[in-house]
Amino acid sequence: MSFRYKSALLSLVSMAAIYAWFFFFLVLHYETGHPFNPVAHLIGTIVALAIIQIVGHAIIAGTSSDKYDRMDERERAFDRRATQVGYYVLIVGALIGIGTLHLGFDGPMVGDAVLFAIVFAECTRQAVFLIAHHRAA
Amino acid sequence: MFPIANIVRAEREARGMTQSELGAAIGLTRQTIAAIEQRHYSPSLEAAFRIARLFGMTVDDLFRWDE
Repeated sequence: MSFRYKSALLSLVSMAAIYAWFFFFLVLHYETGHPFNPVAHLIGTIVALAIIQIVGHAIIAGTSSDKYDRMDERERAFDRRATQVGYYVLIVGALIGIGTLHLGFDGPMVGDAVLFAIVFAECTRQAVFLIAHHRAA
Repeated sequence: MFPIANIVRAEREARGMTQSELGAAIGLTRQTIAAIEQRHYSPSLEAAFRIARLFGMTVDDLFRWDE
């Protein structure tokens, strides 16, 4: 496995797991009134994700001989494809997020919907990159 | 499988090169060289010329269309 494959896998798993935790409690808060401070939790989520990414990438780099290698044409093609798909997901998600305004959602809920779109788009981008690697392995 | 067949593996092994060495010589990763050899990836025209030039061959010698 190349460094970039491991990096994308770490990013996907850590992001999906941490934001699943955040959105679980957010939905619980909206549905049941469970005590939840969205701003504090969001900051905690971002800090936790940053720490996991930094430590995880340091460990991955220590076990990868190709960590200093630049992306070659094949990986750039995977990256372009992944970014293209992620962009479409982001646009659709953002439009749906904005569309929730017309369903009576208030400002913070629209913001949460857009945040979900951003996170989902990034997870999609990493997933497409990994799938492209698998298909062309 | 991509429609462009090649003899990169045979030529590389004839020169005693590893996939990593070939990749490093032309700016591709070991994984990409492996993918080219297994016809899981068609290299760009530039990469094809680089490989051919390194082996002292023409692109036509190395690659052929094979549907």
